[in-house]
Amino acid sequence: MSEALLSIEDLRVHFHTDAGVVKAVDGVSWSIAPGETLGIVGESGSGKSVSALAVMGLVEVPPARYESGRILFKGRDLLIADEKERRAIRGKEISMIFQDPLTALNPVFRVGHQIAEVIQAHEKMGRIAARAKAVDLLGEVGIPNPRQRAREYPHQYSGGMRQRAMIAMALALDPVVLLADEPTTALDVTVQAQIMDLLIRLQSDRGTAIVLITHDLGLVAGHADRVLVMYAGKVAELGTLDDVYYRPRHPYTLGLLNSLARMDQRRTERLQPIIGQPPSLIRLPPGCPFNPRCPFATDICRREMPPLEPKDGPAHLAACHHSDQVALAQSPAAS
Amino acid sequence: MTALVEVENLVKHYPIRSGIVFRHDVGAVKAIDGISFDLEAGETFALVGESGCGKSTTARAVLRLIEPTSGSIRFEGEDITTAGASRLRALRREMQMIFQDPFASLNPRMTVRGILREPFTIHGLDADGKVESLLEVVGLLPEHADRYPHEFSGGQRQRVGIARALALNPKLIVCDEPVSALDVSIRAQVINLLEDLQAQLKLTYLFIAHDLSVVRHIADRVAVMYLGTIVETAPTDDLFERPSHPYTQALISAVPVPDPNRERARRRILVTGDVPSPINPPSGCRFRTRCPKFATSLSEAEQRRCIDEPPALVDRGEGHPSACHYAEARELV
Repeated sequence: MSEALLSIEDLRVHFHTDAGVVKAVDGVSWSIAPGETLGIVGESGSGKSVSALAVMGLVEVPPARYESGRILFKGRDLLIADEKERRAIRGKEISMIFQDPLTALNPVFRVGHQIAEVIQAHEKMGRIAARAKAVDLLGEVGIPNPRQRAREYPHQYSGGMRQRAMIAMALALDPVVLLADEPTTALDVTVQAQIMDLLIRLQSDRGTAIVLITHDLGLVAGHADRVLVMYAGKVAELGTLDDVYYRPRHPYTLGLLNSLARMDQRRTERLQPIIGQPPSLIRLPPGCPFNPRCPFATDICRREMPPLEPKDGPAHLAACHHSDQVALAQSPAAS
Repeated sequence: MTALVEVENLVKHYPIRSGIVFRHDVGAVKAIDGISFDLEAGETFALVGESGCGKSTTARAVLRLIEPTSGSIRFEGEDITTAGASRLRALRREMQMIFQDPFASLNPRMTVRGILREPFTIHGLDADGKVESLLEVVGLLPEHADRYPHEFSGGQRQRVGIARALALNPKLIVCDEPVSALDVSIRAQVINLLEDLQAQLKLTYLFIAHDLSVVRHIADRVAVMYLGTIVETAPTDDLFERPSHPYTQALISAVPVPDPNRERARRRILVTGDVPSPINPPSGCRFRTRCPKFATSLSEAEQRRCIDEPPALVDRGEGHPSACHYAEARELV
């Protein structure tokens, strides 16, 4: 694998609330190389979005506190860089798209104006030239009649078009890293397929690295090169797509894959759910946070947090005391 | 098997009014435009489709939570579209609903006990001991009865919603996206619960969903809706293995499956553009404006037919009804 473009090392983002300390991200590391797609999978409250928000400087301090960690982009640590330096990177070199485009687009400005504004904030370009580039970008992301559409407001767009407009804005300055946080969750599946198709096309044209944050294991299976599975603010497993889906070494990954209803298979007798509920991040169980729901759990799991260690190869990491047993239980994707 | 519910030619149009002094209709949102289907006792019938296709409107119309514009809905042979208020109230004991959002569908100021007693109070029935047994049926504990909805997780809250729907021993339960708001690891629990309850209590489900993976697992038969009409209907495996309407094919091909090798081998059928407005749907076949078949493999004369003639929902030799003039089964998963 080529050198990492963006890497996060031992990041801890804790939120200090009245109810207690929420350890949203607790010792998370990942990196991404140029042109690569990293899938970050997890349920709500697993902390999957927080590390991406931290990269963008969108985590408010306080209530959040960075307890440890570095966010390295091309060798510079974004957490200690000054505002001017961060601003030069944010939006230009690294940009982000969100689940809900309505909250990311300003309702009172025309779409074309908003995209032009991004361009002018970073590049010495006249208003007319920036507007023209905005129209080109809208055309590139597949918005029909872009010249007229650029003069419209976000509410005049359909959901899929808003997502396209947000992608156009995110790509306006040709970023090398695109953080995509649930980019298609609010969309219908046929529109989801259009948007993913668009992202892949843009990625292959421009060599953009994409961090795809989602709860949808199907979407990741179709698009990621490597997968990071998060649970309760920690990394449960990290590996290549095939490692994680066909040779999972963490019981949570295995449990998730086992529990899914599959569209490509005839009805199975019963689904195999993961028992219990996701834990509260304020009151995590001692030891491994997954232990109360884990069929493999023993005493050591209730005492000690397992380290994230390489399993059958340096690129496949899992944080489980019993990953050998997990390996023996077959993944449903492998059958 | 006998039909528990028969829906015939159901139409729901929402008028669009204009004018301040002289209000007059200037058009209508055609939410449902003439659909028919039967629910057999004890089966799970799924209505699938994308937002705005009319699936939730249909579900609500079946319970008469909204008044249909025309058409008939028969429950055990009785036309409920003409039932009066008191008859309707009695009928509601037989048909209940589970909602998508367990956060919005439970009153935050009532305890679970209050929520579960309410159906009995409304119908003047004795609720003694019922709360605890309902909680047990849905896998909650008796001590949960005195808690408030906010004290529960999403999955537990959905169990409370299911318990409330079961309270009066209904025959039909309309499930409107019952698992789509839940976390992935919780979904399987709730799906299993719904299946167990169906087997124990001989329930009939009208299952509304956009997630085809869940539908494939839970449904016996499926109808695919597009812009207020049913475009294809079939037994579940038949629909997924031999979809014959271009929209069903696009829908199935767009759903990602959690299997990297299969994903690499799949070919997506991309539809272009967005769903047209239900105020002014396209003439003839409503899907033709986005139809990949229409755009790429039909001659001009064939296209003419799609523009002029709305295709009927009939079996064209593909084994099940499909509303496409040029229906042709394809294998996609």
